[in-house]
Amino acid sequence: MTTKKMFLRPCTWVYLFLLSLTFVTWFIGVNNLSGRAFAFTVLGFALIKGQLIGDYFMGLKQVAGPWRWVIFVWLLLIGSLITAAFWKTL
Amino acid sequence: MTGMEKNRWPPGDLVIWIFIMAELLVFGVFFTAYAFTRAHNVELFDTYQLTLDRNAALINTLALITSSYFVVRAVADIRADDSRGCFRWLLAALGMGLLFLVVKGLEYKHHFSLGIDLSTNTFYMFYLSLTFFHFLHVVLGMVILLAVALKARKGGYSAAEHTGVETGASYWHMVDLVWMILFPLVYVMR
Amino acid sequence: MKYKSQKVAKLYFIAAIGLFVGQILFGLIIGAQYIWGDFLFPEIPFNVARMVHTNLLIVWLLFGFMGAAYYLVPEEAETDLVMPWLANLMFWIFLTAGAATILGYLLVPYAQLAELTKNELLPTMGREFLEQPTITKIGIVIVALSFLANIGLTILKGRKTVINLVLLMGMTGLAVFFLFAFYNPVNVVLDKYYWWWVVHLWVEGVWELILGSILAFILIKTTGVDREVIEKWLYVIIAMVLITGIIGTGHHYYWIGTPAFWQWWGSIFSAMEPIPFFMMTVFAFNMVNKRRRNHPNKAAVLWALGTAVMAFLGAGVWGFLHTLSPVNYYTHGTQITAAHGHMAFYGAYVMIVLAMISYAMPMLRGREAANSTKSQVLEMWGFWLMTISIVFITLFLTGAGILQVYLQRFADNPMPFMVVQEKIQLFYALREIAGFIFLSGLLIYIVSFFVGSKEPEATIEGEVVPT
Ligand code: HEM
Ligand code: HEM
Ligand SMILES: [Fe+2]
Repeated sequence: MTTKKMFLRPCTWVYLFLLSLTFVTWFIGVNNLSGRAFAFTVLGFALIKGQLIGDYFMGLKQVAGPWRWVIFVWLLLIGSLITAAFWKTL
Repeated sequence: MTGMEKNRWPPGDLVIWIFIMAELLVFGVFFTAYAFTRAHNVELFDTYQLTLDRNAALINTLALITSSYFVVRAVADIRADDSRGCFRWLLAALGMGLLFLVVKGLEYKHHFSLGIDLSTNTFYMFYLSLTFFHFLHVVLGMVILLAVALKARKGGYSAAEHTGVETGASYWHMVDLVWMILFPLVYVMR
Repeated sequence: MKYKSQKVAKLYFIAAIGLFVGQILFGLIIGAQYIWGDFLFPEIPFNVARMVHTNLLIVWLLFGFMGAAYYLVPEEAETDLVMPWLANLMFWIFLTAGAATILGYLLVPYAQLAELTKNELLPTMGREFLEQPTITKIGIVIVALSFLANIGLTILKGRKTVINLVLLMGMTGLAVFFLFAFYNPVNVVLDKYYWWWVVHLWVEGVWELILGSILAFILIKTTGVDREVIEKWLYVIIAMVLITGIIGTGHHYYWIGTPAFWQWWGSIFSAMEPIPFFMMTVFAFNMVNKRRRNHPNKAAVLWALGTAVMAFLGAGVWGFLHTLSPVNYYTHGTQITAAHGHMAFYGAYVMIVLAMISYAMPMLRGREAANSTKSQVLEMWGFWLMTISIVFITLFLTGAGILQVYLQRFADNPMPFMVVQEKIQLFYALREIAGFIFLSGLLIYIVSFFVGSKEPEATIEGEVVPT
């Protein structure tokens, strides 16, 4: 691999980003913040986290073809279903 | 893996990916069932969600993400032909897994001490079922990681051949991934 | 055949096929009684004939499994069976006990059979599929233990392959769960609860391990695909079987007085049970497509692929059809259940046993690898006739079931059970016709063993180039 010297590896950046999204989610949780804005922010964060885990941790970013999209499709699917179920109740 | 060119297959044994897809399907169905059942029992779900310990869930989320990150490092090490490094990162990942089990165990202990079980109400039924099903996956993932770690310690993998490490890693990331959805869905969204 | 002791399998296979014929004859009798209620009454009442039909099914499948194991285990372990004499002895014990039990069903009223066999000492009789007198059940346990000791020690002594270990796991599970047949609590909820530990955990748990390992064995032998590849598939399939099948038991806990969470657990987990069946289908076709060579025994390959497809249809698709609790609320215990039961049992377990017989019998009878083309052609006729008739039996019963559910449980003015039965008579008649075609297929299948024995073995036309 042709590695430039980096301050942090890409996966470490991703890791730190995942941690920060988690803290935001937790903050919304402990303060019992409710309603569409908060709920879907939190859900959006979860989907982003999932995609990052798929791309960078599971290494799907390096894959071409249908397998590239397995995690994405799964996230899209449950993301939409959860949204559909929560939408009217919030 | 060399620079730009992409692979046709995901890392690890293809069979684990078929297994991962099947597992994701089961969890997906469970999540959807939770969401739609909640839609019919909003008050009940919102009330009892407040009895969950979000701080414990935070610790557990951090534990799983960190653990996943350690596994990424383990794979990086074995790709650089560093078996010892790989073994150590895996051990650290297992430590995080154990932390998850302990924290989750304490949460269960708390609920059970209040006499809560699967028949208490629909919310607790889902909460206990979903998290316990995931709990079992953490255990299974740890068994797999442990087997990989032990083989790595004996020098069983190399930069040239380390499919086993990638296979175990892929499964473990799946366990992490599922929790990323479970945490907001069950503990936070309201 | 590489090891002399594999020969015991032949006895088991012959008995299996013989009892299979009996099972189908009694199927035709109860099928006829569905049309003419007093057919053969009072000599053979419906409940007795039904019991004979289902018990023969289970018993011949057990003969088939044991025969398959006696053939497969030595070959995989690369060593002779440790106790071939015990396998022989147990064959005769099992056959005698089985025959005596069936005769008991037919010759004396069931209640009297219970008295005769001292059921009151340890009452276990009177439950569907587990009707056998307690003494027969004890016999089954003894046969099972000797069998397990025999193959277990052989496996320990020889080469340990994944196929052998999975098979041993499945067979051990079969024996262990059968022990719940002895537990017969007075409380009907508990009674039903544990009854399913035998019935469900057999066909949707441990038997699937047996199915998977036999299928894997046949595929290795007939396709020449790397063992390593096949073993990996086997791992994933059994993992999925266990994850979904064990908790999937809950699809029988909807209406029997068990806690409400089973509605969810049963629905969700059993809805996933088709996955391992689907994987088996993909697995079988994948391996055959990747084959390194053509095997001269085309019939065996056909049975192997057939079981992969039919198991998925019968267990996977027809199982899924009525497994979600809101659906099962309407379909529970109707002809839909019978439709599913027929196709699933045939597709998964009848066909895998016939696949193994098809693969092993030529060798057991002194052939190199396969029967003559003439015999195979006839066998494949048997395959198609039986398979297509079971598809039709399933479709007719599904038709009957849909009407039954609608008229009896769904319509605005639900009708009583017997009134509805009158209205779906046509389907029962069609089912009976399909049943006769099934019987003709079975007879042709049997004839295939006796034709072309003098002719040379089928050969492979055209080698496949390894890719
Ligand atoms: C080869 C595997 C299978 C076999 C041999 C089999 C056979 C049977 C039989 C004989 C029954 C009737 C039991 C009774 O007497 O009440 C039954 C019931 C049932 N089976 Fe299966 N089955 C298999 C797989 C499956 C699968 C995979 C599913 C779900 C996806 C399933 C779903 C059901 C359900 C829901 C019932 C209960 C029907 C009712 O409520 O009346 N089965 N099965
Ligand atoms: C290999 C082929 C067959 C298999 C595996 C098989 C299997 C079974 C099973 C598992 C049951 C119990 C079903 C339940 O509890 O829901 C059953 C019942 C029955 N079978 Fe078969 N069977 C076969 C062939 C036939 C044939 C050819 C006929 C007749 C045409 C037939 C007629 C019946 C009838 C009438 C019942 C009783 C259903 C009831 O109680 O309502 N079977 N069979
Ligand atoms: Fe079942």
